[in-house]
Amino acid sequence: MTKTDPETRIPDPIELDAAEEARLRRVAGLGAAEAAAVGGDYAGFEQVGLPDRPPQTEREREVYTLDEGEMLVNMGPQHPSTHGVLRLVVKVRGEVVVDIDPVLGYLHRGIEKLCENATYTTVLTYVDPMDYLSSMHNEHAPAIAFEKLYGIRAPKRAEYIRALVVELNRVFSHGLMMGFLALDMGGLTPILYSFINRDEVVDLLSAISGQRMLFNFFRVGGVNWDTNDEFLSRLGTWRANVLKNVEMNERMITDNEIFRARTVGMGVLSGKEAISLGVSGPNLRASGVPFDVRKSHPYSIYDELEFDVITHEAGDSNARYLQRIAEIKQSIHLIDQIVDKMPHGPVQAQVPGIIRPRPGRAYGAVESPRGLYSVYAISDGGPTPYRFRMRDPSFISLQAIPKLMPGHLVADTMAIMASFDPVMGGVDK
Amino acid sequence: MDLELLLGIGRFLLATTLLLLLTVPTAFIVIQMELKIIAGMNLRIGPNRIGPSGMFQSTIHGFKVLAKEDVLPDRADRSAFTLAPWMVFMAAAMSMLVIPFAPGAIAADFNIGIVYFFAVLGLSVVGLLIGGWASYNKYSLLGGLRSAAQMVSYEIPLTLSVVGVVVLAGTLSFSDLIAWQLENGWMLVWQPIGLGMFYIASLAEVNRTPFDMVEADSELVAGPFTEYSGMRFGFFFFAEYVALFIMSGILVTMFFGGWLAPWPFPAQLAGFAGTLWGIFWFFLKTYIFVFIAVWLRATLPRVRVDQLMGMAWKVLLPLALVNLFITAIAVVVFDL
Repeated sequence: MTKTDPETRIPDPIELDAAEEARLRRVAGLGAAEAAAVGGDYAGFEQVGLPDRPPQTEREREVYTLDEGEMLVNMGPQHPSTHGVLRLVVKVRGEVVVDIDPVLGYLHRGIEKLCENATYTTVLTYVDPMDYLSSMHNEHAPAIAFEKLYGIRAPKRAEYIRALVVELNRVFSHGLMMGFLALDMGGLTPILYSFINRDEVVDLLSAISGQRMLFNFFRVGGVNWDTNDEFLSRLGTWRANVLKNVEMNERMITDNEIFRARTVGMGVLSGKEAISLGVSGPNLRASGVPFDVRKSHPYSIYDELEFDVITHEAGDSNARYLQRIAEIKQSIHLIDQIVDKMPHGPVQAQVPGIIRPRPGRAYGAVESPRGLYSVYAISDGGPTPYRFRMRDPSFISLQAIPKLMPGHLVADTMAIMASFDPVMGGVDK
Repeated sequence: MDLELLLGIGRFLLATTLLLLLTVPTAFIVIQMELKIIAGMNLRIGPNRIGPSGMFQSTIHGFKVLAKEDVLPDRADRSAFTLAPWMVFMAAAMSMLVIPFAPGAIAADFNIGIVYFFAVLGLSVVGLLIGGWASYNKYSLLGGLRSAAQMVSYEIPLTLSVVGVVVLAGTLSFSDLIAWQLENGWMLVWQPIGLGMFYIASLAEVNRTPFDMVEADSELVAGPFTEYSGMRFGFFFFAEYVALFIMSGILVTMFFGGWLAPWPFPAQLAGFAGTLWGIFWFFLKTYIFVFIAVWLRATLPRVRVDQLMGMAWKVLLPLALVNLFITAIAVVVFDL
């Protein structure tokens, strides 16, 4: 190794961090002696990973002040299993998690602002990549909101096709959750079995919409395409195989002793806590609260379909997993009903190229695979929304994480997080 | 100096060289098995570009790490960081010294081979701990400490499950153990509980799924190996797979008759043919157990670190003691 000239040497970021940290401590009013008392060296590690500003809230001071024997472990944004680019600052005492601070924003694309500068028709293309595992749901809520705003209704057949694709999307999204949960516990195979199912559904959806991931299928006042032969024949094949596929995956996971030992009783969220945190969707129902937007505020054609709200009582990781499986089967049941009842007719209402709704406001909410996904749009009479706001369920679910983690082991942070099934594209918008 | 001593030294040097060379293809074969078999179980195709149906993928992996840049973290403890992969690899390679591959094909037939084997293989934990500590990385540190806790705990049930075998056969030498099994039938029949405990503990000892706490890629990125790159990482990687092979080999030697062929084949042949016959059966049996370990990896999730320790101390250790107690009583009562 050659000696580097100290003059030209690029300073090491770790050293810079240490200098910055010392500065921050001064700013934060922690003297050198006090810093040594609360921070100190843990196993020879200087405490890097502090935020680049003095603590601004009580909570921040609480997380980033270390007692003797504690250290901060920074997980993410690049980490094998933080579901995208979530960063968790984990305060640990040995292997036990003392506190956890999720840091968001690494995937922020400013989608709300983009949508406020797009016409109502093009907004539906921008929301696709938000929660990339439920693109159909992402389009559904704004479509509902804009239709209310403009005062039209989609034709009956369009509503049925919407419900069909949305339920298909839910099946693969929940299926992937099974795989990711197992993957975060070190099981290699279930995720690939999940992807078999996802691939079939994605083929289906691409047969009807023309695209595999960001479907761009919904329109204000209808859907882009009617069903076609390829879609229908694939739907038949998929319907014949899907339960077999889900069961194959279930056999790998559900009754596995190790899986049960790592999920039963882990990350218990009571119904009360879940409501007060705003958690919704399968995560809420797994805590025993029977709230399903499809049932309590029916939209589209859900009031014409027969289904019950499924709940599980335990509220732990295992209940959240079983809830997903039950909902997969429920969605397949719904798909059967939709296909049986589907009427003939047009799939698109008469809508001008550029929509200019009257000034007003509208709210559209759907049950996405991750919970209550809703859109609030304000029109000022122009061709673009004046304000466009989205409530993403993953973002709300993440609030539960710092509440649930303390006391669990480092290994469980990932397992519990995976059981909430957050998608960072939706969290950061 | 007398000729016999010189010959002995020459034979020993030759044998150790051969064994060191053997580690390379062994690691390649085990890695290739892992790539292809797990792919098959995942319903994937797996590597299929290099060589016929991807046969040389792992070889290319091996040579790739040679060509990669070797990064030394700025704050790492230099000497310890360099020493760690070497220690882990040598612990695995040195323990191969006492493995009996076939009649006459054993590098050093110690009369305390079993003691030597577990003593040397246990050294690898020191390497992992040093590597985790020296890397100046929190994932590495946690991984290193986990490995220390895990391997120290599992060493005890592992060794205790072997003591039953030793008491029964009345020997600490691997070749005597095989001779005993030739006479009395495979140890599997005599020590079924010991076999189960040995298998579980050996998986934990070589850090295989479901006990791969040390790497735990979904939590600790790569545990103590996080900061390693290039050939240093390659040594860890090699050592891990060689250790899996060795553990399977020892399992076969202790419980499945080592090089002995199963009935209805003749258990042993004379002369050079006997050596080949023995090598064939030894490798066949060993790779069956390597296959099972790979199969487990494709099937099971990982247990948590506290569940792992709980299992070692609360289940395996009492069971091993009971097993040993029963074995000892039986040996005395029935005069085995």
